[in-house]
Amino acid sequence: MKIKRRDFLKLTAAAGATAALTGCGTADMNALKAAGSTKNIGEAPGQWLPTTCQGCTTWCPVEVFVQDGRAVKVRGNRYSKQNDGNVCPRGHLSLQQLYDPDRIKLPMKRTNPKKGRNEDPMFVPISWDEALNTIADKMMELRTNSEPEKFCLMRGRYTYHRDVIYDVLPKVFGSPNNISHSSTCAEAEKFGSYYTEGYWDYRDYDIDNARYILIWGCDPVASNRMVPAAIKRLGNALDRATVAAVDPRLTTSAAKAQEWLPLQPGTDGALALGIAHVILTDGGWDRDFVGDFKDGFNRFKPGAMVDEADFVEKETYGLVKWWNLAVKDMTAAKAAEISGVPAEQIIRVARGLAAAAPNVCVWMGPGAAMHARGGYSGMAVHALGGLVGGIDNVGGSLQTAKIPVNKLDGDILKKHQDELAKKHTKKEKIDQRGRLELPTINKGKSGGGVSTNNAPNGIINKDPYEIKMLVGYMNNFVFSSNGTDRWEKALSMVPFTVHLTTHASEFSMFSDILLPCAISKYERHGFLKTKANRYATCTIQQPVVQPIWQVIEDETEFPFLIAEKLKERGFSNLHDCLVEMYADPETGAAPKTAQELSLNALKYYTKPLWDGKKDTHGDTINGWNEMLSRGMWNSEPYAYKSHWGGKFSTETKKFEFYSETLKKALTAHAERHKVDVDTVMEKVNYTARGEMAFVPHHEPPLRHGSEAEYPLLFIDYKSRLNREGRSQNAPWYYEFKHVDPGDVGGQDTLRLHPTDATQLGIKDGDRVRITSMGGSGEAVARVWEGVRPGTVSKSYGQGHWAYGRTAASDFAKGTARGINNNTIIPWELERLSGSNARNGGHAAVRVEKI
Amino acid sequence: MTQYAMVIDLRKCVGCGACALACKTENNTAARKYGQTHNWADFIHETTGSFPNTGFRTLPVLCNHCSNAPCVEACPVEPKAMYKTADGITMHNDERCIGCRACQDACPYSMDEVTKDGAYGEYSVISYNEEGESTQPFFTDKTELIKGCTTSGAELVALTGAIPPHQTRYQHPDYESVRRDNIVEKCIFCDHRIKNDELPYCVSACPSSARIFGDLDDAGSDVAKLLKQHQSFVLKEEEGTKPNVYYIRDYSAR
Repeated sequence: MKIKRRDFLKLTAAAGATAALTGCGTADMNALKAAGSTKNIGEAPGQWLPTTCQGCTTWCPVEVFVQDGRAVKVRGNRYSKQNDGNVCPRGHLSLQQLYDPDRIKLPMKRTNPKKGRNEDPMFVPISWDEALNTIADKMMELRTNSEPEKFCLMRGRYTYHRDVIYDVLPKVFGSPNNISHSSTCAEAEKFGSYYTEGYWDYRDYDIDNARYILIWGCDPVASNRMVPAAIKRLGNALDRATVAAVDPRLTTSAAKAQEWLPLQPGTDGALALGIAHVILTDGGWDRDFVGDFKDGFNRFKPGAMVDEADFVEKETYGLVKWWNLAVKDMTAAKAAEISGVPAEQIIRVARGLAAAAPNVCVWMGPGAAMHARGGYSGMAVHALGGLVGGIDNVGGSLQTAKIPVNKLDGDILKKHQDELAKKHTKKEKIDQRGRLELPTINKGKSGGGVSTNNAPNGIINKDPYEIKMLVGYMNNFVFSSNGTDRWEKALSMVPFTVHLTTHASEFSMFSDILLPCAISKYERHGFLKTKANRYATCTIQQPVVQPIWQVIEDETEFPFLIAEKLKERGFSNLHDCLVEMYADPETGAAPKTAQELSLNALKYYTKPLWDGKKDTHGDTINGWNEMLSRGMWNSEPYAYKSHWGGKFSTETKKFEFYSETLKKALTAHAERHKVDVDTVMEKVNYTARGEMAFVPHHEPPLRHGSEAEYPLLFIDYKSRLNREGRSQNAPWYYEFKHVDPGDVGGQDTLRLHPTDATQLGIKDGDRVRITSMGGSGEAVARVWEGVRPGTVSKSYGQGHWAYGRTAASDFAKGTARGINNNTIIPWELERLSGSNARNGGHAAVRVEKI
Repeated sequence: MTQYAMVIDLRKCVGCGACALACKTENNTAARKYGQTHNWADFIHETTGSFPNTGFRTLPVLCNHCSNAPCVEACPVEPKAMYKTADGITMHNDERCIGCRACQDACPYSMDEVTKDGAYGEYSVISYNEEGESTQPFFTDKTELIKGCTTSGAELVALTGAIPPHQTRYQHPDYESVRRDNIVEKCIFCDHRIKNDELPYCVSACPSSARIFGDLDDAGSDVAKLLKQHQSFVLKEEEGTKPNVYYIRDYSAR
């Protein structure tokens, strides 16, 4: 405050009335309007227009209120059976992303040829023509030299229009390198559900019918995949069911829940097995799902082997094998010793789960699995759902109803691939997926997934070859992947990089050309598939406002514009493929402009939802115009037990406690590399040998840094205001950051337990330096009882050294505001799934007062 | 008679922040400056107990629209800029306000300077718009982050024709959708919406349906029924302000 007005007032109280009469306000104010009059009261005219929010991976169908061509408010789509017309805080926050003065407004090129963390790119504006010509020339050079594989496309967040830029563009051009971000998010989590239930995806959770909700390694009301649905239902669930939250930090769910289990990081497997041990020794498993001993007599006694022949399973496979291999000795007491969660609480929670069976949600989040050795803890957590029958069942975890949209036409794509493209797209990818030490066994296939965080190794070592040209879109891997130093090095080495972006982000700082792109949700076309509350949803994005500047839609317009330029240079295959594949599905007319291609793509993919030809098993939408005006389609509710009766997509068609599916996958991977499974396990940093590799089990957590030098474990979490890494240039982010429990607004907060703080001589509000094997940076200490002693926690998001005036402390100098968690978390992978390992406590740190 | 009131069901509330952000989009309130938060809706957080028996709760806060409003009492102008409407809203008239801040001084839920935030229990339901300065300095700024390549707040305003560019435009005889300098401002229960049979925007926007709005004098209203059904509390009851924002149930189930 600059002037103490009230002090002035005390001296001149009487003068106030005079001031009001003489008028100190603006002339056109409402002085003469009578208070209480209802004349001309209310909102100026506007329209609610449907689109989709991509602030997190809920992918909410939303509506934007538009006045005079400006986006002014956001709410949930009125037709949504997931968010019931409401959005979470991110939905509102996005307005500051749209109207951000630091958005780039035209194409730019780098004029400083030197690349590095501390090199100013010296960007200057260029014309669209110069930008596209330069890019096309570089691409042609690769084709002329018969090395199209040295082109790499990197995809961050996406819509399902990704097909155009992610599949058609590189495949017709001739590169195998379309590297997605997927393993940054939760592939190790999907690994957990796949190698038990046969479902490689996020699960839906039937909160409304659950009697026990065990939340594990996430905070569903803040992040994860169904945020508004969880926000709406948590309060009611607390009245009806028991809610327990497993997390080393006090999340909102943990604060509200009946039980908080603040485990030691990386001990999720042990805790899950401890709970399983109680359920089994108590005889508390769900008979309908799991089956029973032939004579009904429970032989699960602590430490005792059980004869497999004595137990008859129903919907499951391998319970006794699992017990004998991994569960029998993990008593509550032992699990307590490893996890730090008291035995009596483990017993209480296990009995609660059993009592509520089968209406149990075991809600697995990334925190349960995205560890260096987290694949098996993901399986262990998901296996708990299996034990109590809460799989594909009322009040449990669910798979999804089908969304009948069109797929990319692979025949057209192949038709336009020339010999060079056909040959070179078969080359090994730059992330080295599928190598012995990096199985990335997505859906059972060795090398079937992506290992985003291994791409920098491929680039740095030019192994399998050099990447000469990189195009990134809606991504910022050098900020969003742990081990940022490695990415900085890799990106500095790529000779020519194009970034399709809305902001000059960290990735942009290593780029040669930046192309301004539309903000997802407000300015572009696309469609998303999502699910919650038993409903699958297809929701579209469309421009609800006209962009202020000439920006392009990254996924569709960029490929088209480049295709035109390549055609001018004698390579017309991409153009020919695009105009054939994305002809108007109603008239057959080929798109003549990039904008037409975008619209046609949306029309093509969503056509089965609105053309009335087949029963969609969901909302009836009468034609294309209604699709655009509604903006979304809901399925019928998902049918419970769709996969019971031997219909799970596992090897045995059952829910597997002993994973024949994983056994087959690991064996195939081992055979591919002519080694045995034990060698694979050794190469991927796991300790399990023999049969243990096929069952959910506990692995001792990996740790980077000695206890002496780095005594504390770092816990990363996602802020409820994170629009992934894209909301940190919004002033509202800082103003309301304190809505994350334990956080303080306006600062990058590191939460420490009072015991640790006292020992380190750190007081609340002190500036501290946090250092790991990965890097070091500054944060502000918050001494708080909501963190487990021995751990410190900080939300991902801050620590930008680019992006904008608010996100960075000094953009021009590249000075960070706070410290990026991904600099603190040393580079590491969960190698079975190819995931970035960011949880599980491998990030050991020391914290010092500055 | 009508007495508008809000009940906040803490069991349903998850402290997500949507109400306060929605309010900022509806009422186009400024960014924090000079210790003025301009958050007509905000939160305070309380941590109790010790690990692992830590308790935590979030309380959404806003103007309490007190029946015995010290801000109204303190307002020195005639007719008062801060006054009670017939339906119990503590209304603020922009035109009559002289920016003396006596209301802010008198209000037990306001501070003349907020240096911290809800993490430390600090908030202010009344904010003051500094004299002689834009209330939207973020959007009057002319600097470009990368010269010639990025835009500026001022340029965005020029091109969109609104400040802030996402300004929700509405009309009301007492207040404007973006208010001038040298006056105070605060939550007015979105009277421009109530008068059109819409709920205050924070209530509409709450994704957990934790905010319930209605007429306390109508026994059939949801607010009246909830207060009958549940024990409730108000903030700083001892101040005798008779708030019309009530809290029911416990945030935590532990």
